[in-house]
Amino acid sequence: MAKGRGLGGGGGKGVVMRDAETGNAASERGDGNCCIAWDTQDKHLIFSTSRSTLFIQFWPLSSSFSPTDIRRLSHHRSAITGLAVSPSGNSIASCSLDHSVKLFSYPEGDFQSNVTRFTLPIHCVAFSVTGSMLAAAGEDDGIKLISTIDSSIIRVFKGHNAPVVSLAFDPNNEFLGSSGSDGTIMCWSLSSGKRVHTIYHAAPNTDLNNMCRNGIAWHPKGDVLAVPGRKNGVDVVMYDRDTGEKVFSLKGGHSATVGVLMWSPNGKYLATAAGDNQVILWDADNRQDIDSQKFEAQICSLAWKHKGNALAVIDAYGKFGVWEPVVPSHMVLPNDDLMQPSAIDREELLHFTDDEERDGSEDDTNLSGPDRELDGSPVAARRVHKHKDAVEHVTLKKSSILEKNGLQPQNKHMHDLDGVFTTVPTMQSAFQPCSTKPNSGTRYFLTYNLIGCITSCQNEGLSHVEVEFHDTGRGVRVPAMTDYFGFSMAAMNESGSVFASPKKGEKSPSTILYRPFSSWASNSEWSMRFPAEEEVRAVALGSGWVAAATTSNYLRIFSEGGLQVAVLSLEGPIVTMVGHQELLAVATHAALPFTCGQQIIKFMVLNLNERVITMEGCLPLSPGSYLTWLGFSEAGKLSFYDSKGILRLQNKQYGGCWIPIFCSSKEVKGEDESIWMVGLNDMQIMCVICKYPNKEPQVSPKPILSIFKPVFPLAHSDLGAEDLENEFIIKSLHLAQMTDETAHPIDDEDQEEEILKLEADLDRCILRLIAAACKGDKLVKVVELTKKLTLDKSWKGAIKLVSAMKLPALAERLSSMYEERMNRESYQDQEPFVSHTLQNSQVLNPVPHSDLNPVYHQPASVAAVPKPASMVVREIDCNTQKAENSESKANVSLSKQKVASMEEKSAKAVSKNAITDMSTEQNSMKPKEDVNPSNTVQAEAVQRANNPFAKSVSNPFAKPPATADSQSAMSLLDSLKRMKNSENESKGRGRPNKSAKHS
Amino acid sequence: MAGQSNLQLSVFSAAEVEFLAEDEQIDIVPNVRMDTLHMICGDYGPFRPQIPVKVPLWLAIALKKRSKCRIQPPDWMTVEKLTQVLEDEREAPREFQPLPFHYVEISRLLFDHAREDISDPYLVRSLLEDIRDVRFHKVESGLENLSAKTHAVKLKNLAAMEVNIVRPFIVRALQCFYKHDSEELVKQSASEVESQAVSSDRVPRRTLRPR
Repeated sequence: MAKGRGLGGGGGKGVVMRDAETGNAASERGDGNCCIAWDTQDKHLIFSTSRSTLFIQFWPLSSSFSPTDIRRLSHHRSAITGLAVSPSGNSIASCSLDHSVKLFSYPEGDFQSNVTRFTLPIHCVAFSVTGSMLAAAGEDDGIKLISTIDSSIIRVFKGHNAPVVSLAFDPNNEFLGSSGSDGTIMCWSLSSGKRVHTIYHAAPNTDLNNMCRNGIAWHPKGDVLAVPGRKNGVDVVMYDRDTGEKVFSLKGGHSATVGVLMWSPNGKYLATAAGDNQVILWDADNRQDIDSQKFEAQICSLAWKHKGNALAVIDAYGKFGVWEPVVPSHMVLPNDDLMQPSAIDREELLHFTDDEERDGSEDDTNLSGPDRELDGSPVAARRVHKHKDAVEHVTLKKSSILEKNGLQPQNKHMHDLDGVFTTVPTMQSAFQPCSTKPNSGTRYFLTYNLIGCITSCQNEGLSHVEVEFHDTGRGVRVPAMTDYFGFSMAAMNESGSVFASPKKGEKSPSTILYRPFSSWASNSEWSMRFPAEEEVRAVALGSGWVAAATTSNYLRIFSEGGLQVAVLSLEGPIVTMVGHQELLAVATHAALPFTCGQQIIKFMVLNLNERVITMEGCLPLSPGSYLTWLGFSEAGKLSFYDSKGILRLQNKQYGGCWIPIFCSSKEVKGEDESIWMVGLNDMQIMCVICKYPNKEPQVSPKPILSIFKPVFPLAHSDLGAEDLENEFIIKSLHLAQMTDETAHPIDDEDQEEEILKLEADLDRCILRLIAAACKGDKLVKVVELTKKLTLDKSWKGAIKLVSAMKLPALAERLSSMYEERMNRESYQDQEPFVSHTLQNSQVLNPVPHSDLNPVYHQPASVAAVPKPASMVVREIDCNTQKAENSESKANVSLSKQKVASMEEKSAKAVSKNAITDMSTEQNSMKPKEDVNPSNTVQAEAVQRANNPFAKSVSNPFAKPPATADSQSAMSLLDSLKRMKNSENESKGRGRPNKSAKHS
Repeated sequence: MAGQSNLQLSVFSAAEVEFLAEDEQIDIVPNVRMDTLHMICGDYGPFRPQIPVKVPLWLAIALKKRSKCRIQPPDWMTVEKLTQVLEDEREAPREFQPLPFHYVEISRLLFDHAREDISDPYLVRSLLEDIRDVRFHKVESGLENLSAKTHAVKLKNLAAMEVNIVRPFIVRALQCFYKHDSEELVKQSASEVESQAVSSDRVPRRTLRPR
């Protein structure tokens, strides 16, 4: 069978080259399209020559070469240019000059599908690490990324100006590397489809007839991409994964440019084949060539055996062979993972290679070589003795490697056949929110918040601490401080800063120092020293208090002046804590983390003024993550950020559940950006974007805050209006918070206006959602959405919208719902004052708002409600006076009424109180008609009491003239204000005192 | 250069072009807290320390002069972007790389007023000057191609200052070609031609507006 024999390079061992196409002499010069690969089990060699046939060859060859050992797949119509074996080992993909990529099952070898077709020849194909994607490229414009499941095209990467000749998926499944025949290397992000790096003129210029194929390969760890060198004498250049910069190069081996290269499974060795017909083995760590092998023709494809010290090669004529053993026996084996070395594994592997060397045919019946060795046959034992020297040598080397890698010595003994160790996750150490890691020599942040920052710089034992406010207009300038304590923690707010230092030996115990930014007293800073066994782990401060958590699980609280107010016990080791006005949030470890690494952290929120715990519970971290930031929003809501980039906010709704309001991975532009949280308020998340390799901001240049909107991790609905739904949730949440806060006292006019504005915003968002739902023909959803509208104007808008969308049935339904709602609302609001409302509606409605839609008029059903007899009398008394009063009050209390309609419960409660008020008020009202100007106290009482009253009658007034739904909330407010003003003016003329009261 | 030799012919003076460029938006990082500014051209702000906000260049410079903000140089004003542009500019002799319409003026204003906010100011400045030279050279060499058969000159991605400099020359040259090309026009009386020339002087103004 042997048609040629490679000349022995370094080791004196030859590589037997076999011709695949037996009996069919490959006479013409190969065009370099030959490819070779091992299957994942190392049972077969899969290769193609420059013809259209794909071979699956049983390896090692049996002594009697039988035709059953080789399988031919002749599905392609033209020469195969590339092949790839899926990581699962179930399929083979091949690409060809016939413009198609075909998928074959393995090991059956059945044709499965034509994955894709190109318009021009294809030159390379590659499976992703997970096997779910396949990339193919060639002379077409664009690299196709294809899903192996349904053969759909996921992405097309366009950018190469020359045919693409090599593709390589990054082992971390983030990038795809590609090389063009013009020597351009590009790196693409699989998730975003963007080009991450472009390196022009990196690899040699080749044309497609050349066998030199600009093969590229990622290091198995994925940190570097190996690319053939362009310059004379430089064989391989390594480019950094993240920066795209040159890391190092391998030089001085080949006398021609490198065509293909392959990393050994452990990434320690690199095999390169070049135009000088040589294959060179490099030690990547030492950047040296180890061995070389000279062949008759240029090698155009290489494949490392997955488990074994062997390299399969195929030359341009389609002759293939296996170089075995490749790596000299005294060196680490190519598949031996340095991170999990084990002495026994190595010995076995040594024997295995030994066996192969001696009698290659012995393994024919035994497919899984290493397994056999585990039996511990006497043959193996004998060889242990024989190769004792070699083994000792290797173990010696290995132990030195272990030391180099800083592994624990016991790991050496604790070996696992699969090389898998179960690691026990550790509890994260305490940290200060918004601080960066200390860096000797450079300045780092002790804290960086929305007010300012405290930076420190360690220099020869002393550090220099600076406090800086973001707002330079604040006037206070805090002098820099030389820090003799070595502060490693700090916190600041508007009024002061607190620093803490860890324990440093016996003489300097752990210390905290408080420095107010301004004080009336001269020496108002103070410090505390802790007992020797106690060390501060976290500090926080708020309005008038300072807190420190220590290793003894104590939470010590001090007053602003340095008084020790309380010492509390914590439930577990402190993780972090943060203060906001009178609130202090403390996060402590509750238990050992889950095996996935997810920390189990409890939190509690203390109100230090009232000395109560307002909230406590567990922090719902993302799976496998740890806490990286804890803080209060500007409104005083607790939120935290974990290492998976999810920001969660505690919410009063749903019983104080945490809601994920932000996911950094969805917001950052590239893979190399990360988000460092600083703070948030109701509608904005403020953070610093850090570019790789920095995960944390640098002090200079001063980091700039970026603002993001909250984004909920919503599922993709069939409607496709995720943005709107997101907006809808955010706004309704915000509105709920607003109204919740204002549930008790609603006396702030601005706040009411804000609520009204927010409601209008929300309604506008809902209307757009309705439009989307109408388009998608989701009528139930439309009805649901319509029910969520608050403003009557929006209801009308919705009805109009639906009828414009030509859904008359739905429009009718909505109108009936609207009427029902009007009835119910007026009924609920007005039932106690039916008589008044009746009066008012009769008196007022027709006069100032005659242009209103008839729907707004009091429905007959309400009018028909029997009047309580007691009311009738009053009704007459108040009749005229009410007409005026309510007119002026209605507008003032309009927004209040809105709130009330939102929160029907609270409104009811208010109105109930109002009834009692009412009766007293009615009495006072009558004389008021006459004595009014003199009695201001009484007049105020009237006004207060009138509010609920106005609430009931304001309905007719609340409705602005019917306008298009696009009208903004501002214009609504404005028109209301205008009405109010004009009314006040007219009244002012008649009754000066009253107008003064209203304005 | 053709246009530069006779500055009076420019429709706008350099200062005027710079004035127009001041309406371009730019990011600033304020270091004071300030409410929204209500200007005739729009509302800007609110300003919060350390949070970038977009304002017109004139406002940015006004704030910078009072040291109330830092100006963030635009993306294209970085060494790597400019190096790339310069390289591309040199590689493609026939086309202009897309740069902001007012890149000459903006960079000039930033160098005058916010030099300390630019990283690597020397390198950036020299790169910008190189780019400008390369582009002017291209314009010049492109003008040599003007011939009697030229009816229009297409200059994509030309910046305001560049247009301003060559405008009078190109317009006049084309007019002359046009005039000499058609016999009717030559026959027409001189006064007519003059009046035409005057009216067509206005053309560039109109074309500039839509930008």
